[in-house]
Amino acid sequence: MRKPESLTKHLDWPLFGALILMLIMGLATIYSVAFNEDAPAIFSFNEKYGRQLFWILFSLFLGLMVFLIDSDIYRRFAIPIYLSTLFLLLIVLFMPAVHGAHAWIGIGSFGVQPAEFAKISTSLLLAKYISGLTVKQQNTRTVLTASSILLVPMALILLQPDAGTFVVFTSFLFVMYREGLTFDPILLNFVNRIPGVRFKETWLGSHFIPILFAFLILSVVTLLLDSVVITLPFFGLDLPLSGSLLVIFGLLLIYLVAWLVTQRLIAPRDRSRMTVVLTLGLIIAGSLSFAVDKGFDMLRKHQKDRIELFLGLREDPNGDDYNRNRAMAAVGSGGFLGKGYGKASVSSVRSNHVPESETDFIFCPFAEEWGFAGVLVLFILYFFMLFRIIVIAERQRAAFNRIYAYCVAMILFYHFAINIGMNIGFAPVIGIPLPFFSYGGSSMMSFCVMMFILLKLDAQRKDVLR
Amino acid sequence: MNLDARRNVILIFIILMIGVYVVKLFYMQVVDDTWTLRAQEIAEKRKVVFPPRGVIFDRNGKKIVTNQTYYNLMMVEDSIVDLDTAAFAKLIGWTPKQVKERFKEIVEGEGSYYNKISKKRTSNYQKIRAYPFLKDLTLEEMSLIAPHLANFKGFYEEATSARNYPYKSAANILGYLSEVNAEEIKEDAFYKPGNNIGRSGIERFYEKHLRGIKGIKYIVTSALNNAIESYADGKYDTTARQAEPLRMGMDIELQFYGEKLMQNKKGCIVVIEPQSGEILSMVSAPSYDPNLLVGKRNISANYPKLVNDPNLPLFPRPLQAEYPPGSIFKLVQSLIAMQEGVITSHTGFPCDKDLVGCHNHPSARNIAEAIQYSCNPYYYMAVRRVIQQKVKKNINEDAAYGLQKWNRYIQSFGLGEKLDTDVSGQRPGLIPNVAFYDKWYGHNAWAFSTIRSISIGQGEVKLTPLQMANIVAIIANKGWYYTPHFVRSVGKSGALEQFRKKHWTMIDQKHFDPVIEGMRRVVNEPGGTGELARLENIIVCGKTGTVQNPHGEDHSVFFAFAPMENPKIAIAVFVENAGWGGTWAAPIASLMIEKYLKGKVSNLDQEKLIIDTKIAYKRPR
Repeated sequence: MRKPESLTKHLDWPLFGALILMLIMGLATIYSVAFNEDAPAIFSFNEKYGRQLFWILFSLFLGLMVFLIDSDIYRRFAIPIYLSTLFLLLIVLFMPAVHGAHAWIGIGSFGVQPAEFAKISTSLLLAKYISGLTVKQQNTRTVLTASSILLVPMALILLQPDAGTFVVFTSFLFVMYREGLTFDPILLNFVNRIPGVRFKETWLGSHFIPILFAFLILSVVTLLLDSVVITLPFFGLDLPLSGSLLVIFGLLLIYLVAWLVTQRLIAPRDRSRMTVVLTLGLIIAGSLSFAVDKGFDMLRKHQKDRIELFLGLREDPNGDDYNRNRAMAAVGSGGFLGKGYGKASVSSVRSNHVPESETDFIFCPFAEEWGFAGVLVLFILYFFMLFRIIVIAERQRAAFNRIYAYCVAMILFYHFAINIGMNIGFAPVIGIPLPFFSYGGSSMMSFCVMMFILLKLDAQRKDVLR
Repeated sequence: MNLDARRNVILIFIILMIGVYVVKLFYMQVVDDTWTLRAQEIAEKRKVVFPPRGVIFDRNGKKIVTNQTYYNLMMVEDSIVDLDTAAFAKLIGWTPKQVKERFKEIVEGEGSYYNKISKKRTSNYQKIRAYPFLKDLTLEEMSLIAPHLANFKGFYEEATSARNYPYKSAANILGYLSEVNAEEIKEDAFYKPGNNIGRSGIERFYEKHLRGIKGIKYIVTSALNNAIESYADGKYDTTARQAEPLRMGMDIELQFYGEKLMQNKKGCIVVIEPQSGEILSMVSAPSYDPNLLVGKRNISANYPKLVNDPNLPLFPRPLQAEYPPGSIFKLVQSLIAMQEGVITSHTGFPCDKDLVGCHNHPSARNIAEAIQYSCNPYYYMAVRRVIQQKVKKNINEDAAYGLQKWNRYIQSFGLGEKLDTDVSGQRPGLIPNVAFYDKWYGHNAWAFSTIRSISIGQGEVKLTPLQMANIVAIIANKGWYYTPHFVRSVGKSGALEQFRKKHWTMIDQKHFDPVIEGMRRVVNEPGGTGELARLENIIVCGKTGTVQNPHGEDHSVFFAFAPMENPKIAIAVFVENAGWGGTWAAPIASLMIEKYLKGKVSNLDQEKLIIDTKIAYKRPR
């Protein structure tokens, strides 16, 4: 056993501070949104805030436990931890459904969601597996093994079904990308079958994941802009732009700006190469966007309807689009400085205009109460947290620690991006919590334990020899 | 391959996402107010609070129109959970079919509009809105339903106020309320569907005052449309203010008494306080209990019955019935003739029955006797002098000249046009003028002999009972009047401007004395036609009349004021189909006068006889 003072000696205070700050902000938001005049005490255990406080304290207690245990066990026991989580994910499928999903083990409000913990165990196993590889070992088998570490829990989660957590698991792809574990070997398998072609690597295969995501984002943006028409005065002609044309126009602007910036910043010898890259990027992105636009037009009506509804293009404020519409109204009505703490008229639990405003839509009351100013503070805090995790990741000696840290960063990034995107019409409404904010024991415990494992790994980073 | 650079790819993703989100949030929250408006639409409701209608007092401070609390059974369709229609129908005493029909009726009753966006007709009905399922339930009715409402989610009780008339009288004066129609809502933004508006009588005339000032409450509502709290602590709220009470000139006890005397008879009584023009009572018989027309349920149940009643209880006779005035016109003719100087108070005419029929009486030697005997030939001759003044050579032109002069006098009595009183729906009556006769007989084709019947108030002349009562008030005042009106004070601001203006007739005050003397004799001299109106200690000045009725028995009419010096009350009584004026109208007038001046009546036998008598009253089917 270590001496007590060493518990905090190597603790990364900035990250820990950001975490505590977020927990306080989250609890304060729940206190305001679910406030019950009959039980004003924050400790009222019958109220959501009382329980959330309990969950926070319990999670911090778990964090303390994590700190008391030597961090080596996570690497050593990664496989048993992973397998036991899979077992839980299997068991949960036989539990009674809550809101149509077999996601809970336990009784009533004190159940746990194994999917939340699956994120940690998958991170650990992935970190263990990848850290054991060298770059030379990259081949189809290793890529597929790493992928199946993700795919097995993903498949089980999809069976629940829990689309939100399923999507969050794709965040590990970024970790794999960061670690150089790309899908290039698979692509090379196909490409090199072509007679006369013998590539060692392809650019597309190496950067497959960011390209895939860039493509997805580009498609979504194209479709989102399909209904937006901006008319530009163009040499005396009014040029109505929408959909892909608007995207291309936007890309053109970005291209010009990027070109101007790079001409100044980049060494002269790289300039022409950069111009080529940018121009190519512009052409490829533009034609992709155009293809998506045309392709969408060729879809059948019911397919279009599905996609439009998914992207929130469909005006159906009292039907399928109810939640998003109410959530956006709540957020949008916040104004610059917000309506004031405790004055969320649209998104308070009592008014119930925004369903789940204390769990998945907790960003709503926060944005409504604190306005754009509060949102900015939250975003700064959140960027600081992610940035700090990446800094921590990069200073690790052990690959296991670094990979795990990237897993944590990407999971949090996904949660933030999708959850807040849900509230502002940028992401489909799939139920995933806002880390450290949303009401709920499982997510609070899993996020805290995840963070404390990271903090513990970081605190012990110097103990680990390469 | 430098993998560390890939850190930057991830960072770029993060920064890009934050950048895009911040821009979007800035646009949503700060720049664009679409979502703010949407939020208001969702969560804030402007709740309009209607104050109770202003109450109405009579001249002695008795409340004659008050408000009573009723209950509406409200319904919000979205909140209804598994409605057990059969049980619900049983609770409210309906059949399940009626309940379903009522649902349909509510939805259809809200109408629909053309939605430009969806290009479809869309119903105004909204599932999240509250609608009254049952209206105007009494406390007793509601107390049977309310305890069980917990079993029927989506239904709740709501208090509302409705009119109440404790004296159950003066229905035709006070009028009634009914729901506003679409046109009225369009015209006046004050009203919302389901609001009441004064439909007739005082309620209609003073609508803008009585409705009060509505308040607006901004409230935050939940998804179930329940109010949660007031918006911004009520900073923008305005309070509803009930109108100050109306004070009527009416004496409700006298009104009630008049209606009692007139029961089982048809006709009317108009009582005016001469020196103020305030209407003390206006009985239209038969009448109805104004409480019958309170609330939608009552109106739909009772209104058809009242409309179909052969005795026309909804017909406000004092304002709308037009009768030939008969003998009372002789009073006016006397005054005009004297003012014109064609006779003096001592001019006498023989009772020449060859000119016009008359009853047996000594010839009148002066105006007072002419009135006392109600001598038709006397007025034939006196009015001929007014019409045919022999100013023009042509007899027809001469008559037209005379009639024009006569018309100006008549107009100064407020006749021939609607009195500018405070109850709408009056008839103007008819005073024939030159144009009228030119149209009737042709230009220069008529003379006094053609139009002679106007001299005794028959023929073309028609007046409403209100106009006739006003003539009596003018005589009591010796030459002037205030427009008869019901409301002596709107709140504390007094009567309306138009009722504070004294109208002078073109008759000099001195000419009234012989006329009043004649009226005194009608009642107080032996053999006077109005003997039955005589009272002890009070000198009643009256005039009987018999209005010829081509459709049946003549109408019995009596006009009077009292006391002779400093008159306090002027009255006109019409009893339809009751024959000779002195028989029924005169005793009714005397009872009314005594009731008003002394507070009680002495001749109880007569009172009983009158109350018990039925005249030409048809049993309603």
